[in-house]
Amino acid sequence: MSDIMDIKYAVAATFSSAKDLFNAAGKVREKGYTNWECFTPIPVHGLDAQMGYPRSKVPRFTLAGGVTGFFTGMLIVWFMNEFDYPLIVGGKPYFSPIYPFPVFYELTILFAAFGTLFGMFFLNRLPRHNHPVFEHPDFGRTGDDKFMIVIEVDDPKFDEDETTEFLKSVGGDSVQTIREPID
Amino acid sequence: MTEASNHSTSSQSIMTKLLAGAILGLGAGTIGLFQGLQSGDKAPFLGWLWGCSFWLSIAIGLLMLIMIFRVFNSKWSPVVRRQQEHGLAAFPWLALCFLPLLLVAWFGKDQAGILWSWVDPSSPTIEVSSVISVEEDVLHQKKAGYLNLKFFTLRLIAYFAIFCGISHWLRKVSFSQDKDGDPNWTRLGSKVSAIGIPAAALSLTFGAFDLFMSLEYQWFSTMYGVWFFASGIRAALAVTILICLYLLSKGTLKGLFKQAHQYDLACLSLAFTVFWAYISFSQYFLIYSANIPEETFWYTIREIDPNTGALSGWFWVSMGLIFGHFFFPFIYLLFYRNKVDAPKLIFIVCWILAFHLLDLYWNIIPGREIVPGAFVGYDARPVIGSHLLWGVFSLVGVGCLCAWAVIRSFQSGTSEIIPIRDPRIRESINHHE
Repeated sequence: MSDIMDIKYAVAATFSSAKDLFNAAGKVREKGYTNWECFTPIPVHGLDAQMGYPRSKVPRFTLAGGVTGFFTGMLIVWFMNEFDYPLIVGGKPYFSPIYPFPVFYELTILFAAFGTLFGMFFLNRLPRHNHPVFEHPDFGRTGDDKFMIVIEVDDPKFDEDETTEFLKSVGGDSVQTIREPID
Repeated sequence: MTEASNHSTSSQSIMTKLLAGAILGLGAGTIGLFQGLQSGDKAPFLGWLWGCSFWLSIAIGLLMLIMIFRVFNSKWSPVVRRQQEHGLAAFPWLALCFLPLLLVAWFGKDQAGILWSWVDPSSPTIEVSSVISVEEDVLHQKKAGYLNLKFFTLRLIAYFAIFCGISHWLRKVSFSQDKDGDPNWTRLGSKVSAIGIPAAALSLTFGAFDLFMSLEYQWFSTMYGVWFFASGIRAALAVTILICLYLLSKGTLKGLFKQAHQYDLACLSLAFTVFWAYISFSQYFLIYSANIPEETFWYTIREIDPNTGALSGWFWVSMGLIFGHFFFPFIYLLFYRNKVDAPKLIFIVCWILAFHLLDLYWNIIPGREIVPGAFVGYDARPVIGSHLLWGVFSLVGVGCLCAWAVIRSFQSGTSEIIPIRDPRIRESINHHE
């Protein structure tokens, strides 16, 4: 095996209960860290607020998708029935907001759903095949019985020794540096 | 004077005022009914029906919400549910308020068909544009097996028996659990609700057919019951939010009614705003697409003057409903802050209640008035008229009576502020987003 070069990615601390993690997360937020993440095997209610996260921006994509869908529906009906090939069906006008409303409605729902799904992917930077945090030997257990706080090197307040000490002081069971291999 | 006795004196004076309001409002409405019987004027009866149905729709909405919470065994709802259970105390009084309309149908002699023309087979009606009697109308002949006074009376009694009966049991189940803490009350509550939902759903559906749709008995829409359900739930959610936020501001529900409860109730309001629009539009859409005269006249008189074809005042009410009862609350409630900021939410639920009142007005008041010599033989009842004045009397009267019954239930001391021994109460108090 040749040398594997690596770069520091983050410092991680594990916890054995949701309560410990929840309290520690509050201290991390108070300390002023911004570039950090919690990993939990179960949904922990109120953790977003504890971490100081603002509301998700996904609804904006949903709204944009819905509005686009509504007007796309209108455009389709207008183009086909009024502009390109005017045809009287059932004595109704060529174009009206009433008879083709189901079309507007369905496209609103469809595009709003697309906006939500792809907006979520975009904001979460998905799809993504690998993540440095997988290098942590106990990362698999955050899907089972471990809770983890990870503070990234990119954080402006990050200092390896200081952050390690800090994570120990907030009650981390094991604190270690995650290194991301480059080959 | 101690603070407690101060409080009871002030609440007693409120109760007196409410009873006085009920007597004055209902008294004035009754004078209107007698005057209508003398002169053959339909307006006081339409007004009475409108005033009563607003409060009835709220009570039915509360009943359905409680039963839905029960069958879903929802863990967030008990804190809210207790406030709604007090609202059910209004049902017997609402039944009483509908009684005069039934009495007139039975004992009104030649005016028996003044409100529901089919009650009196000899009363005049319109077929296409000629005036005939109800018994000559094939559309009544085919419906006579359902639309006759005896069966109608039996149904009305059954509806109110079902509403009052289920309400009584739901209140008993919940209040008894406060005393002995037996979890079997919760199981019984689920059973009552599981039976109650279909029973109440059928009652409110056929109730809407009988009370409102049969005002123009030739017209029919199978969606009418669902419309009434959706409207009732919207109004009930608005009232629930107002009661809970009032009790929160008084300190009664401090620390018990959380922002998450408010948020969830507001989300339900948003959902039912969309549902109401979906049902109302579907009804319009199907009738518009089918284009059958027996159905379209109902919308025509809500849009244009049938004799001249010009837009009538009802057109603007209709537009008001589309934009004020759907579009504005829909956009408004999409925003998170408007759901969690109490003053912003109070604004929109009051708005929804006001437009719900307008929606009922739009459904009940317009009707074909026979006008000999008119181009189509009839004219549509105008938006503003004496029916509005009489309606306000019964609206205030019935409202005061219902408020009196509900506040009496709150103060009766038979229950705690929240269902303290409900198995879900801990989860409900700790509810968060």
